[in-house]
Amino acid sequence: MHELGVIIQIVKIVEDFANENEVTNIEKLVLQIGELSSVIPKYVEDCYPAAVDGTLLQDTELEIEILPGNCICKNCNKVFNLLTSNKQCPKCGSKDWELLGGRELMIKEIVAY
Amino acid sequence: MKTFKVLEIKESVFENNNRQADLLREELKKDKIFLLNLMSSPGSGKTTTVLRTIEALKSEMSIGVMEADIDSDVDAHAVAKTGAKVIQLHTGGMCHLDADMTRQGLLGLEAEGLDFVILENVGNLVCPAEFDTGASKNAMILSVPEGDDKPLKYPLMFSIVDVLLINKIDTLEYFDFDLEAVKKRAKHLNPNIKIIPISAKTGEGIEEWANWIRTEVKNWKEQ
Repeated sequence: MHELGVIIQIVKIVEDFANENEVTNIEKLVLQIGELSSVIPKYVEDCYPAAVDGTLLQDTELEIEILPGNCICKNCNKVFNLLTSNKQCPKCGSKDWELLGGRELMIKEIVAY
Repeated sequence: MKTFKVLEIKESVFENNNRQADLLREELKKDKIFLLNLMSSPGSGKTTTVLRTIEALKSEMSIGVMEADIDSDVDAHAVAKTGAKVIQLHTGGMCHLDADMTRQGLLGLEAEGLDFVILENVGNLVCPAEFDTGASKNAMILSVPEGDDKPLKYPLMFSIVDVLLINKIDTLEYFDFDLEAVKKRAKHLNPNIKIIPISAKTGEGIEEWANWIRTEVKNWKEQ
């Protein structure tokens, strides 16, 4: 639901980066989205063309890499995916874990020429 | 033939906003303006709570309000009647405010010289939790009719706020709302959270809430 605002922010950051690095032709933007972040990749793809319209990123390709929502069990140290294990350690059943990643929203790179 | 190159940016989108927010917070500290970011679902009684709060504090400090909404200015009209300085911010469809929008809002409000500014964020428990506005403190309102399961459904919001107002407690007897369960769930997510049950309608709990603000405003100015 807030993907459009998020992409507009992303476009600003990329445009600043492009200006600083004197890049004028961008071919592709690569984003990394954690599966626990509130940003839904499909919605990002849907509103991308509208968000980049009239900007340096107009007509660019968008690639999204999904980062897993992994955590480590504080009881037995097993690393497991939070979403597929019903929020508890599949090895010892503990619900006491620490999140290792999955909330990210990163601009990884741009491909330019 | 085109020669492609890959340029690494490796920048977190939230990180950029966080930097802006930290910068704004420093400036507010220098200007001695206490900014409270108030968040909640639509219909939780945010505007009524804001009106009550102004009523309780307007004789002792100068207050400004920024009303953020996707559209309309009904809330700003209601607040303007109290004599507090008010500005309506239209987010143009956006579901949250970021630090940059907050900065623009403060400029528009001409906040200089004010002691206490309330930012009434867009009614939403999801997105505003992820965007630091640069506020001195964050507060949220949960109202009794919304249900006691909200900390389970929106954990991030409950974990980032400094204070939780539980509003409409005058209606407790009509709803299956377990006040103690909410307190327990909220404390589990956020052990330092301050919880104040209020009724913006009857005025119950408002004095405790006003006291919290008095202390925070004082601390903010002294630091």
